[in-house]
Amino acid sequence: MTGTFQLAISNLKRRRLRTLVTASGVAIAVAALYCIVSFQRGYQAGLKGELDRLGAHLLVVPKGCPYDAASIALHGASWPCYLKGAYLDMVRKTPNVAVGAPVLMNAVYDSRTGAQHVYCGVEPDIVRLKRTWKIEGSFPASENGLLVGAEAAKTNGWSIGQKVALPGIADKTGTVTGIIGPTQGADDLFVYLRLADAQRIFQRPGQLTHILVRLDDPEKVDGVARELRGCDAGLEMNVVPLAHLFHTIEDLVRSTRVLLGSVAVVALLAAGAGVSNTILMAVAERTREIGVMRSIGASRGDVCRLVWAETVALCVAGAAVGVVVAAAGSRGVEAWLRARLPFAPSGALVQPEAGVALVCLAGAILLGLAAGTLPAWRAARLSPVEAIRAGSAAGGNG
Amino acid sequence: MVETELETPEQVVSRVAVAEAVDLTKVYRRGDEEVRAVDGISFQIEEGEFVAVVGPSGAGKSTLLQLLGGMDTPTSGSLRLGGQELGGMGDGQLTRLRRTFVGFVFQHFGLVPTLTVAENVALPCLFSRRDGRTRVDALIERVGLSARRSHRPSQLSGGEMQRVAIARALVNEPRLLLADEPTGNLDSRTSDRILDLLRELNREGLTVVVVTHNESLASSADRRITLRDGRIATE
Repeated sequence: MTGTFQLAISNLKRRRLRTLVTASGVAIAVAALYCIVSFQRGYQAGLKGELDRLGAHLLVVPKGCPYDAASIALHGASWPCYLKGAYLDMVRKTPNVAVGAPVLMNAVYDSRTGAQHVYCGVEPDIVRLKRTWKIEGSFPASENGLLVGAEAAKTNGWSIGQKVALPGIADKTGTVTGIIGPTQGADDLFVYLRLADAQRIFQRPGQLTHILVRLDDPEKVDGVARELRGCDAGLEMNVVPLAHLFHTIEDLVRSTRVLLGSVAVVALLAAGAGVSNTILMAVAERTREIGVMRSIGASRGDVCRLVWAETVALCVAGAAVGVVVAAAGSRGVEAWLRARLPFAPSGALVQPEAGVALVCLAGAILLGLAAGTLPAWRAARLSPVEAIRAGSAAGGNG
Repeated sequence: MVETELETPEQVVSRVAVAEAVDLTKVYRRGDEEVRAVDGISFQIEEGEFVAVVGPSGAGKSTLLQLLGGMDTPTSGSLRLGGQELGGMGDGQLTRLRRTFVGFVFQHFGLVPTLTVAENVALPCLFSRRDGRTRVDALIERVGLSARRSHRPSQLSGGEMQRVAIARALVNEPRLLLADEPTGNLDSRTSDRILDLLRELNREGLTVVVVTHNESLASSADRRITLRDGRIATE
């Protein structure tokens, strides 16, 4: 027995090309929407992950753009300017500061392999800050000891106890004392060494690139930031509350997202109008058939249901294709976004999820119902006689 | 007092006309012109009759058939189908009437091109929400299309398409079969076969009303109603 949906699908197959083009419009709009929603979730999760992995509430950096500084501290690069090591004491002595972890970061280019290697000179208290770290082995206790990120160890083929040449630095060696378990963040790529060793190797005695600050109580972040800005070294350094920084970044990205979202919504509305137009044409073409259906017992409701089934089937098919294409192409979208965003957290920026796909499909059903309202109304209001007469060039017989 | 003998319920039912029109009028507008397509006609069609409605083009034959099929309502006068007055019926009541009381056969067959023979025959069941599988199978066999049940209309001849349309008209077990020029698009040999099928259905008790220009079909009917200018010219 034929069901309403089966009949609707058979109707859509009559004009395959027209159906395909209309469904493609829905697919493109839904794919865009799916990517934007997935990006929103991925970006938020990525920022939260970065914050958790960093383990700090405040970042103290040299004067300059705090966003650049945060990006460098999080993802690793060479710094254009430095803090004096003496500032560290001031930071540590500030009330409510639990940990003040100094870092001297430097990125070196290995001309032999073409790779960039990021070295971080740190003190043992970094471990109190990086609470998510799982270290196999130990923090370097003596000169030239190395604590290596999981990915860096894997790439270089290093193991604990191995004496290795430091990539990108001529004539320097070190001994791997510990390997950090995978963090899914930039730490996986870094090579940590003792602060004094880093200052010596990179010829930056008594200098730091940044200080990671963890507080007793994260709620006091504004008070501590005020205190630090007011200290003697306050004019020489930028105190960046990371939560605020991430919120600011998120706000910047959100405005872009709202713009893109609006474009996607407009595309969706245009696709809905396309569906409506297609089905209006189909209804006009099938006027006599609708009249025949009415004459063999179809009610106005049956005709409405049939037309709605067609628009919903069209929209759901388009949405399903859009979701599959967007999910399959999420890596490409991610690469495209990463190249254009001022700050992109580590991890998956675009996170395709079943929930988002279901929301898109539910949205497609609503779009189909909305797009089908006008054609359904036009089809249902036809009286059987008018429909048969209008659809028949020959008219009646008598 | 005079004692009268009471009729049995069967006698009462058999007395009820399938269709009864009194001063039936249908007026519609064509631009500024008022067209009296059916102009005050009265007639009765009894259960089991085979009636041919004939007349020149524009005489009101199709309009009359549409009124009999509950596809339209009269402008004035009375039309009762199975004892129910059509005048004043709402769209829902007319739809129910079309589902249960009448079966329609069109000159242009009116089949859905994307559905198979079996699906086309079963289509009214979708609207009446009944499982008519057994009846669909029986009707397809009855009209001699069992071998073609999975074919689509484009793969059928005109005669076969009309047989599908007749099977579809019968699937909801109507009391009245209305056919509008059922042989209009067919050659004479195929027309004879369709006529034989309609006669056979009538012999089994189905009331049949056919609008036709086909003289052989009209002459084989029990009764002929000739319309001219919306009025009954001869009966």
